[in-house]
Amino acid sequence: MSKFRLVAPLMVAMLVLTACPAGNTGDGDGDGGGGSSPGASGGGGGEGGSIEVTSLWGGAEAEAFQAVLDAFTEASGVEVEYTSVRQDYNTVLNNRVAQGDPPDVAIIPGVGFLRSFAADDLIIPLADLGIDDAFLQEAYAENLAETGLATGAVDGTAYALMVKLNSKSTVWYRPDLFAEGGYEPPETYDDFIALAEQITADGGTALALGAGDSWTLTDWFESIYIRQAGVEAYDALFSPEGNWTDPSVSEAINTMLELLTDENIAGGKEGALATTFTDGIGLVFSPDAEAQMYYEGGFVGGIAVGDVNPDLVWNETIGFFPFPSVGDGDEDAITIGGDVMGAFTNEPGVAEFMQFLASPEGAAAWVAGGTIITPFAGVEAGDYPDERAQAEAEHVYGAGIARYDGADLLAAGTDLGASLQAIFDDPSILDSQLETFQAEADAAWAEAGS
Amino acid sequence: MTAATAGAERVERRGPGMFGGWSIAASLFVVPAIFLLVVFMLYPVVSTIILSFEPGIDNYVRLLTADPKFLDLGTFPPRGALFNNLLWVVFYVSGTIVIGLLVAVMATRVRYEAHIKAIVFIPQAIAAVALGVIWRFVYAPEENTGLLNAVLGVANVGPVSWLGSQTWVNTALIIAGIWGSVGFVTVILSAALKGISTEILEAARVDGATEGQVFRRIIVPMLSLPISVVAVTLVINVIKLFDLIYTMTQGGPANSSRVIAFSMYQEALPARNFDYGAAIAVIMLIILIPVMIFNVRRFTAERVTQ
Repeated sequence: MSKFRLVAPLMVAMLVLTACPAGNTGDGDGDGGGGSSPGASGGGGGEGGSIEVTSLWGGAEAEAFQAVLDAFTEASGVEVEYTSVRQDYNTVLNNRVAQGDPPDVAIIPGVGFLRSFAADDLIIPLADLGIDDAFLQEAYAENLAETGLATGAVDGTAYALMVKLNSKSTVWYRPDLFAEGGYEPPETYDDFIALAEQITADGGTALALGAGDSWTLTDWFESIYIRQAGVEAYDALFSPEGNWTDPSVSEAINTMLELLTDENIAGGKEGALATTFTDGIGLVFSPDAEAQMYYEGGFVGGIAVGDVNPDLVWNETIGFFPFPSVGDGDEDAITIGGDVMGAFTNEPGVAEFMQFLASPEGAAAWVAGGTIITPFAGVEAGDYPDERAQAEAEHVYGAGIARYDGADLLAAGTDLGASLQAIFDDPSILDSQLETFQAEADAAWAEAGS
Repeated sequence: MTAATAGAERVERRGPGMFGGWSIAASLFVVPAIFLLVVFMLYPVVSTIILSFEPGIDNYVRLLTADPKFLDLGTFPPRGALFNNLLWVVFYVSGTIVIGLLVAVMATRVRYEAHIKAIVFIPQAIAAVALGVIWRFVYAPEENTGLLNAVLGVANVGPVSWLGSQTWVNTALIIAGIWGSVGFVTVILSAALKGISTEILEAARVDGATEGQVFRRIIVPMLSLPISVVAVTLVINVIKLFDLIYTMTQGGPANSSRVIAFSMYQEALPARNFDYGAAIAVIMLIILIPVMIFNVRRFTAERVTQ
């Protein structure tokens, strides 16, 4: 019974403890002051207020973004508290939104999430923040305005800004190994296959592939599909009406599998399925490289130089060429990946912050970090800080038409990557897998619309 | 301090009387526990069940008939998270117990028993997430990184992409899981083994039983209770298994290594489909109920026999 003596006060303490937070949340909801802590900003933040912004960036990306926040604070007097959630960003954001304590402004992980937040009225339309479509049309760079507007909108209402992007049409390669082998960057997909076969014949390995992260396969598929089937078909496929059993889909997948064979990729197909995106970069750009090319977005350059091998030299040991044209499709169309940012509150300072992000000053502050390409007008390729970023900017601004990463446009809960992994592993199931995926996509779209 | 001790003694003396009827004091002491149970157990369970029925029974129909990621009976062998979890229950639980029992029994016969048990127990000190990361390296497809493929390379086999192959991935994961749990089983069974009196074993040997017979007819039956305790613990652990899958494969490749808890997480949080995730949680609960009933019954039975 002496245990009782210990347990009883403990229980009382727990009762008190469990009662406390409940009281606090009640208060917080009352004045809507949750999240930002006035105490932290001290006296300085008094006049302009203070807002909280969350994203999943760390390291160099976070530093580049911090420069934007500092520029904003200087211009407006509004303090910005930046919260970086590196792991499981979706989950953390979801939970904060669901429990009624959202950040004021947040990067939204994928357009599917944006749609879902919009359907539940959790996110503030841009028009309520003083950003109308005419403003956006002006704000985005000319060739990116259409996709920028479409990406941030749900059923015709603009909810979010596409704040940054990277090309997803860059094939990264080793210029030194290409020079050694006498290879040239391919211009057509047929050349691409021929080059891969040549490299294999010469005893090398053409490609690395990080198919363990299934989104790398969706990027491959999208890059081929937009060039082979065209932009119109691309727009239709990644909409609620998308028909995945259309012959154009299986044609694009078969085209993809023609190049991504056991012989052409490091470790073969199964090896690739256990290789993550970052490991794949290592297979090409680490000192003991196993392969010569790696297709993925513009962000590969930063990771390769920053994390994998700091000794890489632009255009000597690392470079990229644009994804080759496929068949007679749209040649100068590119796919891009990026982030959209939306506001969950309309606290003082939020509208100004969103407008600042879309301004030339905001864009200029962000590109100075060299980690992203801005979709906003008023910045030129020459404004980027190094050759690598300048090359990517030129490639993006020079593209005739750009489309957002299709897999990110699908309804939340649709896993195109896993289906592509299955087909990649066993091409004989192509048709049945696409039928399964159609059902999955239909269910997810229905869920998103409800 | 003395006053408190005296108080406790008084409670103890009055103790037996309290069980006759609920005194006010007794009820008061139970309130916090019941409060915590209601807030942290009952309320979440009930609201999860309600959430899962938000669109009627559609979630359950879809889960069991139209979601190949959860259950796909259209192929042989079947696939999907539910079936993968069954594989785990059968092979992980039996594998862990068999190996744990063998190590426990054999270790008693050698002088350096303590060392062997310490070595087998080491993985217990590793967090499951770290264990996942370690085994990712062991299974890496390249010989330079992958220990297993490096070893096989010496014998001119492979390399095999253990986690990239739909054929191997579940086996590879289960082996990693067994490695992480054998120590737990070994320690418990070896403690139980010490409880078997040597006279019984000696008597059997004197009567001419072979070592195999001693093991099968004496040791295993006498260990049946601790074995079933361990088995129930492992079954419960494995039905809510999440960490290894999350760190090692994220359910891939092509969703071939998903398990129930991982599906629940994946549907509810990243896919933001809360009611569907809740339905998976309810199915998990339904699967766990018989295990828990078995466990509770056995404990009550034990108390009676004592």
